[in-house]
Amino acid sequence: MTREALESIEDAVKSIIVTELRVDRSRLGPTTHLMKDLGADSLDALNIALRLEEQFKIKIPDDAIPRFLTVGDIVHGVNEHLATQ
Amino acid sequence: MKRIAVTGIGVIAPTGVGRERVWQALIDGRSGISRIEDFDTSNLKTNIAGVCRDFRPEEMFDEREMSRLDRVSQLAIAATEMATREAGLTNGELDSYDAGVFLGTGFGGQSSIEEFCGAFFSNGKGRRSAIAIPKSMYNASSSNIAIRFKTRGPNITVTTACSSGANAIGQAFHLIQQGHAERMIAGGVDAPITPVVMDAWKEMRVLSTKNEPPERACKPFSANRDGFVLSEGAGIVVLEDLEMAAARGAHIYAEVIGYGSTADASHITFPDPDGESHAMTRALKDAGVNPNEIDYINAHGTATKLNDASETEAIKRVFGSRAHEIPVSSIKSMLGHSMGAAGAIEFIATVLAIENQVIPPTTNYEEADPQCDLDYVTEGSRRVASSTPLRTAISNSFGFGGNNAVLVVRAYVQ
Repeated sequence: MTREALESIEDAVKSIIVTELRVDRSRLGPTTHLMKDLGADSLDALNIALRLEEQFKIKIPDDAIPRFLTVGDIVHGVNEHLATQ
Repeated sequence: MKRIAVTGIGVIAPTGVGRERVWQALIDGRSGISRIEDFDTSNLKTNIAGVCRDFRPEEMFDEREMSRLDRVSQLAIAATEMATREAGLTNGELDSYDAGVFLGTGFGGQSSIEEFCGAFFSNGKGRRSAIAIPKSMYNASSSNIAIRFKTRGPNITVTTACSSGANAIGQAFHLIQQGHAERMIAGGVDAPITPVVMDAWKEMRVLSTKNEPPERACKPFSANRDGFVLSEGAGIVVLEDLEMAAARGAHIYAEVIGYGSTADASHITFPDPDGESHAMTRALKDAGVNPNEIDYINAHGTATKLNDASETEAIKRVFGSRAHEIPVSSIKSMLGHSMGAAGAIEFIATVLAIENQVIPPTTNYEEADPQCDLDYVTEGSRRVASSTPLRTAISNSFGFGGNNAVLVVRAYVQ
């Protein structure tokens, strides 16, 4: 995976979070925590997973969702899913 | 037996937001019916409805809350905010296992249901969501009220079509009487003005098609009536154990003293005066009042051919020859039919009629119908003579399904 490809994933992930949680993009850094920092709950996490599945054409297993806690985690997770598919 | 007081009123109707505005419009005989602007009505025979245009949810909810709450929950929460503020209830008094919610709704989160069904049937083009169920479920409004106001007691949603709001208030009244709660947030809410619902009503041919002018379409009890006008809204009251309300110095609008509920058990949509009259009789019995004590009847009065004739017949069966002496009015002539909210908004109008000693009119009455020959207060709002005060009144609500609910209200005297 090239650096450009990773940045493109990060960019898409941030756009999804901005839309789903209605937060300003400037608040999103690699360690920004969806729940602690942005007030998301489990339903938000499910909607973010749904959007990721649609956008990246991946299947996120149920047990992976609780690990999607920070922007960095999500980018890393999506990248892994893409690599194994 | 415990006495139950009405101590707070929150109402959102097509004529305005809040008790004062809605009441003023009613006694002025002003209509809230207007042309539908939010979706294409070119395939409908009816292009008018009672939309709550003065309700601005964006002033109360942030974007994220708006995305989580169907319009029906937004209306319910906003009306509850008004009712609890009026009742002067502190957070401590609401944050209790002795405070609950009893809500009626006919359509629940209908807009959200349509949105999510649309997405499902769109072959992947629509926007699916993990909040489809919690946003559209029928009990979302009552649960959202509990979450926001921290009421931890009974939290129940009843759905009996057009009598939902009245049944909710009646059930809440009994819950307090029986000691299950000290105070209840009770009422009805509906936001059913959608393309799908309008189309479905069109097929039933029960909506008025007198589109021009919109404000004159709904003509309860008039021979030239041709159906109801769909509307939306919320009516919420705070009901309390009267002794507790008086002890904390709350304003008491009136007392709920009786509730009757019956089923026609005959036809899913065709009304039956037998079931309706029994609902009135049972409510009077529950209240311990004689039919000759009733000074005003707030009618269900939808302006369908069937309802108005059946309701008139039912009133005659209960009140006999005295039926002609009791003022009977339908505020649906001005507000349209807000389905599950209607019974609650009409209960509020009944309470305010007693509080103000003014009877709201039935507007748009034009032609006498031999089947509807009572005093429908068609000349405009009527101030009650001080020599014959308005002390006790009933509010009728009869729903599709044959679900009838009647509430008895009495002026508060210490």
